[in-house]
Amino acid sequence: MNLPNDDRIEALVRQQFDGPVPDAGFSERLMQRLPPRRQRRRRAWPLWAGALTGVIACWLSLQSSPVLQAGWRDWLGGEMSAAAITLLAALAGVSFLATWWATTESVDY
Amino acid sequence: MADSFAEARIDQALVARVVLDDDRRAFEQLVRRHQGMVRAQLRRLLPGDEAAADDLAQETFLLAWRKLRQFRGDARFSTWLYRIAYTCFLQTRRRRSLPIDEANDGEEVQHSPLAHATDLQMDMQHAMQRLSSGEQTVLLHCVQLGLSHEEAAYVLALPLGTVKTHATRGKAKLKTWLAAWHDSADEERTS
Repeated sequence: MNLPNDDRIEALVRQQFDGPVPDAGFSERLMQRLPPRRQRRRRAWPLWAGALTGVIACWLSLQSSPVLQAGWRDWLGGEMSAAAITLLAALAGVSFLATWWATTESVDY
Repeated sequence: MADSFAEARIDQALVARVVLDDDRRAFEQLVRRHQGMVRAQLRRLLPGDEAAADDLAQETFLLAWRKLRQFRGDARFSTWLYRIAYTCFLQTRRRRSLPIDEANDGEEVQHSPLAHATDLQMDMQHAMQRLSSGEQTVLLHCVQLGLSHEEAAYVLALPLGTVKTHATRGKAKLKTWLAAWHDSADEERTS
């Protein structure tokens, strides 16, 4: 045996590979789990209407909150009080979650 | 080469049927055509855990179903699937914090060629396991799955130069570690 050269090494590496796995019901099980395809032209208005409703509901429920008012006032006044930092942290958190979701959804293969 | 071209044409026709007509049977054909190699790829990436590999294969095809419109036909469909499968594997490894076996560079395989002269395959298997994770992965895709360096770079999301380096180094290490077989063969010839 004249070992090793590139071709023989590759042949040996190839021999280590068992080849394709037999189906054994895999495809059938997968097809049963396959969800319906999303509509190609989804209407965008429910998403925007939901987002707007959420923002309005959030605003109405927090309108009377002293922390929000104080934070908003301090932020506009350029004063970094605890309330302003809390408000900024909440906004940063929401932005982070939105970015994470958008990035996850847009992974390109 | 002609076969490979014909296979690619069949895949593209099936993909078109899925995308344009939402044809589930066409997708089932795609699954049946490619599940064997995708599962084999994942089993090599997750040795000893066939159930986890099959779960990842299922995740791969479900993702392919969702993202099929993103397949532009620049690469072969099988290559696109390998890329999704490898991405799923990396995400799972990150979630589970599985260790990366990178500590074997430069280590010699401890084997006695005379004692095991009839079992080259065993030594080869052992030597493969001693390669770094990157070298193993590149040799899996380039040699065992039969991808070109460019295709492997696409699947593994690595620069082409890195893929070529891993392939060259991996083979060089295997040559070194299996050199005893060469020597013993020479001895047999001269005696």
